[in-house]
Amino acid sequence: MTDPMPDAEPRPAPVAAAGFRLSSVLPDLCLLAAIPLLVYSVHRVFMSTPIEQSMGTAFKIFFFHVPMGWLCMLMALIAGIAAAVQLRLRSSGAAAVALAAAEIGFVTGLGVLLTGPIWGNATWGRPWTGDARQVSTALLWLVIVAYLLLRHYGPRSSDRLAAALAIFGAVNVPIIYYAVKLWKTLHPSTGVVGSLPPEMWATFWPGLGGLLLVSLGLLGLRIRQLRLADELDAAWVQLEDPR
Amino acid sequence: MRLLRQALLLLRSELRQELRDFELLLTAGFFTVVLLAMFYLSFASLQAKAHLSALPGLMWLTVAFVGVLTLTRVFDREREADTLRALLAAPIERLAIYLAKAAMALLVLMICCAVLVPGLWLMFPAGQAFADQPGQTALLALLGCAGYVAIGTLFAAGLATGAGKNTLLFIILYPLTTPVLMYALVTTRALLDRDPALPDHLTQMFLLDLILFAAACLLFETVLVGAPARAPGRRPRHPRRPDASVRQDMSREPSR
Repeated sequence: MTDPMPDAEPRPAPVAAAGFRLSSVLPDLCLLAAIPLLVYSVHRVFMSTPIEQSMGTAFKIFFFHVPMGWLCMLMALIAGIAAAVQLRLRSSGAAAVALAAAEIGFVTGLGVLLTGPIWGNATWGRPWTGDARQVSTALLWLVIVAYLLLRHYGPRSSDRLAAALAIFGAVNVPIIYYAVKLWKTLHPSTGVVGSLPPEMWATFWPGLGGLLLVSLGLLGLRIRQLRLADELDAAWVQLEDPR
Repeated sequence: MRLLRQALLLLRSELRQELRDFELLLTAGFFTVVLLAMFYLSFASLQAKAHLSALPGLMWLTVAFVGVLTLTRVFDREREADTLRALLAAPIERLAIYLAKAAMALLVLMICCAVLVPGLWLMFPAGQAFADQPGQTALLALLGCAGYVAIGTLFAAGLATGAGKNTLLFIILYPLTTPVLMYALVTTRALLDRDPALPDHLTQMFLLDLILFAAACLLFETVLVGAPARAPGRRPRHPRRPDASVRQDMSREPSR
C-alpha cells in the first residue's frame, strides 16, 4: 500500500496499541504492589517501632518525611534528565516524562515542606530555622512550581524554555545547598539514616519502597495520559490540515 | 574571534539604539532611586546593627527587581519592532545575540549599581564598608550582576519568542537566580564585616558565573530555535507540533 502522504512526517506510534504490553500494565502493577507495603509500613511505624529517645513520638514523622524528600529529589533529577533529552532529541515522550516527574515532584515536595516544619517544631522548637536543607528543598519546590506554571501557561514555544528551566533547576540544587550551608546549619546530618538501629531500618525501607512504587505508578499513568493527549492533538491537527 | 566581533557589532547597535532615547537607563535608574527611597523610609529607623544585616538584602533585591525590568525591556524592543525573527534569520552566530543582549543588560545593571551602592552608603551608616573597599565592592557588583544576567538573558530571550507572555519571567527568574543572589548576599555580608575570607567568596562567585554562562551558552540556541535537525532517516516524531520549526515559533498567530 502506498503512502498517501509521502512528504509528511510519520505520525506518533499509538500508545494504546492493541495486544498485551508489559509497559502498559506496569504502572498499575506498581500501584497494586504499593498497597500491602504501605499498610505494613504504617503498621510498623505506629505499632512496632520503638519511640526514639531524644525526639520522642515526633520522630515517627521521619518515616514519611525522609522518603518524600528523597522522592522529590529523584523526581527533580528525572525531570532534569528528561528535559535534556527533550531538548536534544525533540522528543515529545521525554517532554511527557519531564512534566509527569515534575508533577510528582511537586506533590512529594509539598509533603516534605509540610511534614518538615511539624517535625522541626517538635524537635527544635521552631518550624523554620533557615537551615540549608530546608531552604534548598523549598527553592527546589519553587523551581518545580515555576516549571509547571510555564508548561501550563507559557507561550507556544515554552516547552523548550521549561526544559531549560528544569535543567537549571536540577543543576541549582547542590549550589543552593552549598550557599546556604555557609551559614550554621541545624538540620540532622546526612548520617542520620545510616545511624538508625536495625528495627528502625526495618520500618524505614518498606515505607520508602511503598512511596517509591506509588510515585513510579503515578508517573507511568501520567506519562501514558500525556502521550494519549499528544496523539489526540496530532489527530486533531491531521483532521484540520490533512495535507 | 568571529563570534566576538559579531557580538560587539550587535552590542554597538544596542548601544546606539539606547543612546537615541536612554529608555533603559532612565527607567532602570529611576526604578533604582524609587526603591532606595522606599528602603530608606522603611528601614532608616532601625538600629545600626540591623542595617548591617539588612544591607545585603536591600542591595540584591534591588538588583533582582531592576534586572527583571531591564531584561524584559531589552527583548521587548525586539518584540515591538518584530526584529527578533530577523536577528535569528541573519547570517550570524546565534550565540552572538545572547552575548550582546547579556552585555547590554549587564551594562545597565552596573550603571544602576553605581547609583544603588553610593545611595545605600549615604542612607545607612553600615554601608561605610562599601566606600572603604571600592575595588572589592565594584567586583562584587559585577560578579553578582553577571550571574544574574547569565540566566536572565536566556529565559528573557526564550519568552520573547512567544506571544505576549513575558510576564512569566518574574516567575521563572527569581527561583532560578537564587544561587547567584545567595552567594552575593554571603559575599556582601563578608564585605560589610571586613571578613578576610572575602577573596575566597569572590572566587566562588566567579566560578559560579562561569558555570552559569557556560550552561546558558549551551542552551541558548536550543531554547530559541530547537535542536538541530537530526540526520536523514531519523525524523522528529512530532513535526506538526508547535516546536517543530523556528517559523512556527515566531508566528504570532495561532495555528488553529
